[in-house]
Amino acid sequence: MSRVIQTTRRDFLKKASLTVAAPYVITTAALGAQGRPPASQRIVMAGIGIGNMGSGDQKSFTGRRDVQYVAVCDVRKQVGEAAKGRVDRHYKNHDCKVYHDFRDVLARPDIDAVHVATPDHWHALIVIAACRAGKDVYCQKPETRTLREGPLMIAAARRYSRVVSGGSQRVLEDYRKTVDQCWGGELGTIKSINVNVGPLSQPCNLPAEPVPPGMDWDMWLGPAPWAPYNHSRCDGNYSTGGNSWRSYRDYSGGGMTDWGAHHFGGATFAVDVRELQPVEVVYNNQQGKEFLTYRYPTGLLLYHNHPGMQNLQVVGTPGEKRPPKAVPTYKGHGGIYGDFLYCVKTREKPFRDIERAVNTIVLAHMGIIAYDLKRSLRWDRAKQEFTGDEVANRMLDRARRQPWQL
Amino acid sequence: MMWYQTGTCLAMATAPAALSGAALAADPPPDAAAVNKAFEALKSFDWGTDQKLLKPIDDAVMAAHSNAALQRELEPRLAAVLKTGASRDAKDFVCRKLMLIGTAASVPVLAELLADNDHSHMARYALERIPAPEAASALRDALPKLSGSLKIGVIGSLGVRRDAASVSALASLLSDADAKIASAAMCALGDTGNSEAARALSACTKKASKEVHPALADALLVTAERLLADGKKAEAIAIYKSLGGEDQPKLIRLAATHGLLVAAGKKE
Repeated sequence: MSRVIQTTRRDFLKKASLTVAAPYVITTAALGAQGRPPASQRIVMAGIGIGNMGSGDQKSFTGRRDVQYVAVCDVRKQVGEAAKGRVDRHYKNHDCKVYHDFRDVLARPDIDAVHVATPDHWHALIVIAACRAGKDVYCQKPETRTLREGPLMIAAARRYSRVVSGGSQRVLEDYRKTVDQCWGGELGTIKSINVNVGPLSQPCNLPAEPVPPGMDWDMWLGPAPWAPYNHSRCDGNYSTGGNSWRSYRDYSGGGMTDWGAHHFGGATFAVDVRELQPVEVVYNNQQGKEFLTYRYPTGLLLYHNHPGMQNLQVVGTPGEKRPPKAVPTYKGHGGIYGDFLYCVKTREKPFRDIERAVNTIVLAHMGIIAYDLKRSLRWDRAKQEFTGDEVANRMLDRARRQPWQL
Repeated sequence: MMWYQTGTCLAMATAPAALSGAALAADPPPDAAAVNKAFEALKSFDWGTDQKLLKPIDDAVMAAHSNAALQRELEPRLAAVLKTGASRDAKDFVCRKLMLIGTAASVPVLAELLADNDHSHMARYALERIPAPEAASALRDALPKLSGSLKIGVIGSLGVRRDAASVSALASLLSDADAKIASAAMCALGDTGNSEAARALSACTKKASKEVHPALADALLVTAERLLADGKKAEAIAIYKSLGGEDQPKLIRLAATHGLLVAAGKKE
């Protein structure tokens, strides 16, 4: 199948009827005892990609009284089984199902929402498929792997009226002093802000190793180019130094997109351009020191790795004060996870609505292309392409390995 | 092959366009001997080989973006590797470079790989992004020769290219006995999203098997969005109305209603 589409309820029931029906017992937990909403009012959730970040997300969602966590999915059998064990211990039952193909999770009509924490090269495909299947989605950052993916994710979310939240909790929580200074007006008109983050990911040519038992390697690669298994190619640790998928270009943009999602997100929130995208990125090279200048339509400048500037260092207008604005925050309670769940119930846009998340990660992808080409680029937001740069436009996306298509 | 045969280094033919008075770095001109050595290394390159050996080719490809003479020298040399017994890894590397600097000249050799299980994806990796219309023609011409997963891949690439000239070829696949191929063609037509694609998709709604209904509905919704963006509001509204009936799943009916509200300017 070239594109993942929702399975009908009838298809699911056909499959389900092949399994042995278990007796259904209405428990006190199902009726809402112990302060929990009754089962009918809980958000039924599953997790797709349950490694390092996924297990943290899983813990946060299972800990919520308004969530019934029913399934986990991972291409590594042991990881999936371990995740099931955590869920079952939490609920004191054996009900959590384990899948290794996310399409089987999305085919379940009882699931309302999924969280996605696969490697980055899978994000767009799964998020769009989830929207088509009528699921709301909490997707870990960085939400996209290419520039073309972002608008397609936004379109799918809007088309099916889905709540889709990006996953950076740091945007609101880590840079509060800077946010308060900017929104409070005490710095006057903001002229620029700087983000220090990196490095860029690299090509990978690691040698083949035997595929470990329980690992579906073809599914791990998914839409990425085929390559032989190597533990350093697919390890989910947070390093970008060569022993993790975050190091390699086929799966990640490296630190530029990984921590970039946090820092660029925090910067654009602090200076209130999270609804915008830059009109150009200027490549600078001063005595071998490369850095970027993003120019916003408002005139604001956002630097990347500007020599001598601190991360999230803001330049305002000395002597000027601006009227304070109320700082937007999460809805509901429980941080970014609570914000997502609140919006699943109310159908509002979450704090890290997919469009804002895409506006953030666009900076990282544009920056990677500018550094690769060592030249400045103009960006047409409406067309989602670079103006007058055919080579840069080739880098907007890359062909996905069959049978996967967005 | 003048620049590396003579051993001289070509300076950049044109400087990149300066934006906003930014300081620009001049790429160091490619060292011809180093590039020759890298092409030699490519012959035995495979998984696990030190990829620094190929860096001179990487650098030359980047320099070729602003050096037409260098591009003309480099492209056929890269394409020639695809006709050798070089490893899958080496040919993957070449396809990645042709994605960046390939032209119509590389299309024939890339097209030959579309039916090869090991190389089809990386051939598309280049062909999908080469702007020359010859690349789309090669993908289109490959369709009758392919089946299964490889065919699905090529269909998807035509969709990504939004190739209007491929609409009739894709439309002929809408009733393919392989539901996965029919679904892929629907999605590709949705991506193409012009009036002709809309007509082809709408025409198959009554005879489409239930297995492909979800793909067809999604493709029609995507097409309607693209028509709306192109100012063809009446055509978009007709599609949304066609998806609003009780015979459609609730999710599709809601999406169609949402589309109508967008068309009416009442929703984003």
